Amino acid sequence: MSDTGTVVPRLGCKNLGLGVGLRTVHFPYLLEHWPAVDWFEIISENFIDSRGRPRYVLDMLAERYPLVMHGVSLSIGSTDPLNFDYLGRLKRLADAVRPGWISDHLCWTGVLGLNAHDLLPVPFNEETLAHVVERIRVVQDFLERPLVLENPSSYVTFRSSTMSEWEFLGRMADESDCGLLLDVNNVYVSSVNHDFDPVEYLDNIPHRRVVQCHLAGHTHCVTHLIDTHDRQVTDPVWELYRRAHRLTGGVSTLLEWDASIPPFPVVHAEVLKAREYLSSDGETMPAGRRAAADTSDVPQPVENQGNGAGGAPVHDPAVPHPLHLVGREVQ
Amino acid sequence: MDFEPRNHKTLPLAVVQGWMQAVIMHPDGIEAGIESPDAQRHLVVGLDDCESVIAPSRNLTGLERLSIYHNAYFARLLECMRSIYPAVARTLGDEAFDSLALGYLQAYPSRSYTLDRLGHNFAQFLDETRPDRDDAGQPTEEWPDFLLELARLEWAISEVFDGPGSENQHTLGAEDLLAVDPERWPELRLVAAPSLRTMAFRFPVNDYFTELRGLPPETDVPPLPSSGPSWLALSRRDFVVRRHDLESAQYELLTALIVGQTVGTAIAAIVAAADTSVLDLLAVQLRDWFRAWTAAGFFVAVEQVSD
Repeated sequence: MSDTGTVVPRLGCKNLGLGVGLRTVHFPYLLEHWPAVDWFEIISENFIDSRGRPRYVLDMLAERYPLVMHGVSLSIGSTDPLNFDYLGRLKRLADAVRPGWISDHLCWTGVLGLNAHDLLPVPFNEETLAHVVERIRVVQDFLERPLVLENPSSYVTFRSSTMSEWEFLGRMADESDCGLLLDVNNVYVSSVNHDFDPVEYLDNIPHRRVVQCHLAGHTHCVTHLIDTHDRQVTDPVWELYRRAHRLTGGVSTLLEWDASIPPFPVVHAEVLKAREYLSSDGETMPAGRRAAADTSDVPQPVENQGNGAGGAPVHDPAVPHPLHLVGREVQ
Repeated sequence: MDFEPRNHKTLPLAVVQGWMQAVIMHPDGIEAGIESPDAQRHLVVGLDDCESVIAPSRNLTGLERLSIYHNAYFARLLECMRSIYPAVARTLGDEAFDSLALGYLQAYPSRSYTLDRLGHNFAQFLDETRPDRDDAGQPTEEWPDFLLELARLEWAISEVFDGPGSENQHTLGAEDLLAVDPERWPELRLVAAPSLRTMAFRFPVNDYFTELRGLPPETDVPPLPSSGPSWLALSRRDFVVRRHDLESAQYELLTALIVGQTVGTAIAAIVAAADTSVLDLLAVQLRDWFRAWTAAGFFVAVEQVSD
């Protein structure tokens, strides 16, 4: 897809550099060390109602670092009415912390008043497109700023889809004038799960509308991939990121790590690998990485895959994100 | 919504979403979900033609692909429930807790944009589903009451942790109280810190909670305590929830002050309830209690009651 020349790259949003997803387990480290991090992305829902430590720490960080608000509950693709109570709270938080932009996902999280707390996929067809575009316009008017939407990882495709995900994203962004958060790991995960070519995907989205990239680790479950955010970024994803960087001209990039979260310096070091990848020529992997290349994306034995007989599975180690509950501190 | 498609390529979005949600949230699995009345209400599809809605991939059938969402829904929310109710979960053991939590998620599925409210009705659910009721509906065992009280404590901790606090406010110290003319105390009101709350239990819940937290992860849980009343105050300081054991009279006094009674009225109530032989002791105790409570930051202001 070729971009229209009238679109300002990244919707005018700055390239913030290489950032890290803010997680509560890192609060003590951040407040003690104030590490040199380009920017943080917050999970909006962890803060919009907080009147305790999460909000206190956020206000401190907002004074020192650029922030971006990333949500998981907008449910832009749902056929339920938009939740203006939620949107109002989102807007109030944005007014307070002045994020670079507000993002969420192209997904639905529930209908009929329920919330599955998952990023559920939509069928890619004209009906969904018209529905989502209209809702993006309403949300953008309400928030008085552009919305940036991310491609989620997905595990099913619908017979009622009539177009590719990348065509849908491109038309959605152009028709609603929204931005895109290109999650390169999600592109890769979905490409394996849905048997498409991730390079074709990257080549055919409107690159000027890409405001931000996400990087994360996933779990290989032999027959499919799960977007677990619990490990390092794999080499195929880094390769796609290098391509995305070239196509977009470079955009704000953020690493998400949501389960088995290591100490902050480890997470930060992971996103900083982007510099090595971008400075290498594509044929040569960064030093120290080639030895790991053949083993970084090998299948992991996974318990409880498939439908557990007679009931819901428990303790399945490969759970797609998001799981965003702030841990309680009590003495 | 009763939609019986001839061609699943043209399924309305609302039908797809209502059907998929009913399927992946069904507690007995994908197959049971597809055949459930809730799913069939949206879309009449059987196990053999599920792939007329969900396409297969090279490696997985449509059913297998859908089951990933089913697995994720329950695994994610059960993990969340374990995080909100760690003491209840450990007391019951993983299997029993997950079974209860599954029932809870069916009875009270999330309707909020935030997972913080996921456990809001759990204590109520435990009461509604307690297995020891006799034919007249009356409880016959003590242990469900204990679990219910433990759940109430853990939910209160959650609410205090991220609710309003007084970290950015001046809290009254002992010197602030001493500066008040003693003659005026009876008509004054102490404004409690917004995080402060009191709880009364039929079991020594807080002692059990403390003991459980002190045990290494893999050790056996202590036996459930015998019934015996206990009282507790929860507060938050430096953004950490603090637990304060109370005596009965302390509970009565503090609760009265939190709801806005004057100091005079609140103290008169506990004096009236006390044995006359301990009134002198009570006078001494009151001074100690207020000293401890101000040190703990329980109050943020002294107010004159307006007529």
